Amino acid sequence: MDHLLPAEILEADRAFPVALAACADLDALLRLKGAYVGREGSHAARLMDLLKAAPKEQKRDLGAAINGLKQGWEEGLKARQTELEAAKKNLNALASSWDPALPPPVPARGALHPLNRLMDRLVEVFRPLGFHVEEGPEVETEAHNFDGLNIPEDHPAKASSDTFYLAAHPELLLRTHTSPVQVRTLLRVAPDLQKLGGIRFLAPGRVYRKDEIDPTHSPMFHQVEGMLVGHDIGMQHLKGTLEYALRALFGPHTEIRLRPSYFPFVEPGCEVDVSCPLCDAKGCRVCKGSGWVEILGAGLLHPNVLKYAGIDPEEWSGWAFGMGVERMAMMLSQTPDLRLFFENDQRFLGAMGGLD
Amino acid sequence: MWIERKALAAEIPAAAALDTRQLCELLASLGFPVDGVASREGTDVLDVDITANRGDAMSHRGMAREVAAKLRQPLAPLAPPPVAEGAPQVPVRLESPACPLYATALLSLGTGGTPADAQAFLRALDASAKGLPAVDASNELLHRYGHPTHAFDADRIQGAVSVRWAISGEKLVTLDGVTRTLLAQDLVIADEAGPIALAGVMGGDGTKVTEATRRVLLESAWFDPKTVRATARRHSLHTDASHRFGRGADPAMATVARDLLVDRLRTWAGATLEGAWTAGALPAHASSVTLSEAMLVRVAGEPLTLAEAAEALTRLGCVVKAGSDTLTVQPPTWRHDMAIPDDLAEEVLRLRGYEHIPSVLPPLEGPPQRLSPDYRLRQALARRLAHLGFHQTVTYGFISPEADAAFAAPDNAPEGRTLVNPLGQEYSVLRGTLLSSLKDAAEQNLRQGAREVRLFEVAPTYISGPKGPGERFTLGLAWGGTQGGEDYLSPARPVREADLRGIARDLGLAALPEVRALGEGLFGFEVPVADLPRPGERIVPAFRPFSRFPSVERDLSLLVDLGQPYEALAAAMRAALPAEVLQDLRCVDVFRHKSLPEGRQAWLMRLRFQADRTLVGSEVDGWMASALAAAEALGAKIRA
Repeated sequence: MDHLLPAEILEADRAFPVALAACADLDALLRLKGAYVGREGSHAARLMDLLKAAPKEQKRDLGAAINGLKQGWEEGLKARQTELEAAKKNLNALASSWDPALPPPVPARGALHPLNRLMDRLVEVFRPLGFHVEEGPEVETEAHNFDGLNIPEDHPAKASSDTFYLAAHPELLLRTHTSPVQVRTLLRVAPDLQKLGGIRFLAPGRVYRKDEIDPTHSPMFHQVEGMLVGHDIGMQHLKGTLEYALRALFGPHTEIRLRPSYFPFVEPGCEVDVSCPLCDAKGCRVCKGSGWVEILGAGLLHPNVLKYAGIDPEEWSGWAFGMGVERMAMMLSQTPDLRLFFENDQRFLGAMGGLD
Repeated sequence: MWIERKALAAEIPAAAALDTRQLCELLASLGFPVDGVASREGTDVLDVDITANRGDAMSHRGMAREVAAKLRQPLAPLAPPPVAEGAPQVPVRLESPACPLYATALLSLGTGGTPADAQAFLRALDASAKGLPAVDASNELLHRYGHPTHAFDADRIQGAVSVRWAISGEKLVTLDGVTRTLLAQDLVIADEAGPIALAGVMGGDGTKVTEATRRVLLESAWFDPKTVRATARRHSLHTDASHRFGRGADPAMATVARDLLVDRLRTWAGATLEGAWTAGALPAHASSVTLSEAMLVRVAGEPLTLAEAAEALTRLGCVVKAGSDTLTVQPPTWRHDMAIPDDLAEEVLRLRGYEHIPSVLPPLEGPPQRLSPDYRLRQALARRLAHLGFHQTVTYGFISPEADAAFAAPDNAPEGRTLVNPLGQEYSVLRGTLLSSLKDAAEQNLRQGAREVRLFEVAPTYISGPKGPGERFTLGLAWGGTQGGEDYLSPARPVREADLRGIARDLGLAALPEVRALGEGLFGFEVPVADLPRPGERIVPAFRPFSRFPSVERDLSLLVDLGQPYEALAAAMRAALPAEVLQDLRCVDVFRHKSLPEGRQAWLMRLRFQADRTLVGSEVDGWMASALAAAEALGAKIRA
């Protein structure tokens, strides 16, 4: 007899038990009831129209089929209604007289994003050394993003293949690192530097580079910049501070290693490795058996950076470092794909972020 | 850059005693980390990472100089049989200061090819051997000694050769077969018919050496790094030559490389020298740099002496003159990165090894600054929402124009926030709203089977302005799916708009934001973070007296129209009561039932009064009457 019924009605009938079970409250049940057996626009109403229009010889069979369907739906609805009403009563009963043998209800849990959590942690680690947080805009000028940092005018990073520029404002770009916060902060504090006794801060934030999205690249990512300006600051202070901070972060047995490197805004420059926090430097997949992982780039401030901000490099000196947050988060968590940090799946966030 | 171990040991014999791992560690300690090791042609080849400031290290000889300086061991001598120079066979005119020196030679080729070991060397470096001695020898010299050279087919050069700026619009077909249209800022080698090479970047197709070539004209010059970099970038033509000239080649190597090339062509291909000559002269030497003891000690953090510094710098090829408390240092011709005293201090530390740098915490010179109120507010907000069950998201700052238009304020023109070179249309506008990104993330979670989705993000949104986009930290929140039903005390029900208004109220927002429907059963709102109440700046706020007298609580059951906005009614009631005694007014129950008059609902309002004295029943009665009157004025009635 089913051949007399339209396909979508049969489909609706197949879906009925699932839809019924999904009704979590009486309101939802009422809506389902309306859709199946309501007076107008429901599946049942459509069937009645169908029956009216059917040729005489089909009427008997069709009528039987329709009645079968309707009866099934009505019985189901009724049973679920009884169930839900009982559940509501039960709920009220449980709410008014608490049974300590039952498990307690647990409120929903949210989570901070793992990248934010890591940045918060870095701020926490540097706070006791007198560092505060400075921030700057993401839309920057070429002057702050490049020129103030001793980056030569023809540096390849300035090319539109590497850096995003704004259509209506050709002089504006999306900052490619958090280093322009150095420039802004130095320009701001330069007149008061003596009174402040130098400056030390972290600059966490989002940065942009024109990279295609893949498991290890993202056009937006996060950096944490650190900077210190004072009197007679040398490489020993950079090493001392980073050793303190990285031990606070990874544990007291952590060792650090400086290797010479080059960034236009520092001199001397270095890369900093940390003894592998995952294998206690015994050698593993993450440190490729070497016991060391590269964690950040740093160096003493290039005199041109201080001069740009109007600070006398004969009197003041300092250091800066820059750290990739995603890179570090991926290394520590062994997350195989960078894109997971931007997909925002609650299962990932709940497991990775949590709450401090 | 690839470094072949045997070829390195040929330049610095002491390196032969190191195994590959030791060599990698040594190079890394000098600032040249090894990204990988390959085995090719029966030897280990190291993939060495060379920073942009060290053009001088981009060869086996350059790397050997570093190893020799570190190990205090001698380099193998570099002494090609000198080539006697004579009168120019082809006139060479240098017409631009960007090429101060051009050494050349003219040779007739005999028979013979590239030797097998030279071919193997090139293959080990992942470079191809062409089997043409003039081409392969030039290539081999580049990798071994770092100085790019070029060989032209001399019989295809017409008349005199000049090094000059291109005439805008001139054409040159380069070796890769591409026709390049030149600009006046491009430096070219030209003959009387036109350009035959892009100086320091790539040779021309018309004068290239082929199997038919009988005579070659060699070029071993020095080109201005900036000029070469600009041309390479302009034509997207990054070659081994442009990398080295662009980072600064060693001008003193120009004639040496020419002599080495002549020598190879004689031995490999039985070539005979017809003449060798040089146009121009060595460019002016970089001026000397003065390093003071104070600067050295400040950077190093320990009492290094100038004598130690002088010894280290001498090992690196510098000419050092010692003064009483300074050194005057003339960097070697191959180094272009020793311009200021800080550079010299770095070199001393680098050669000594960064592992010797002591570890000292810098002294505090001033009091630490506080975290800014804005920053603290955002931290607290994120924690609060996480405790309320929301997940913090991080989404891209740029979205598609359509996604932006769906929720951004209509007066926030997208044109002022559009990127000129986005990754694609879907990432082209700096977003004026967080809601589109949250909607995408929420719907993705629901599609993946999440029963309930609670997301928030705290990030800047962008507002177009005459001087460029302004940035405003914004809180966006999305909530959808089924709420509750996960334990026996809370019934399951769909998330409703009211839930989001409840969150907004809980966050202390003075004006409730507009809750938007983001999708089926999914709602969201966004507000500038600046609209949220700020934590007070005082450590302990000023004392405000409070009453210790008991408060009085009264309920008022009202019949109100369905559709009556709650806020309007509550505001009217509040306005009718003395503010100093009304502690609280709220709706504690809503009742809707068919037993009520058609179109009406019942609200149970709870009012709490308190004053600096014990309240009298009659005055409370009076206030309740005023409150009722205010409600009645809006059509409400007391429910009997």
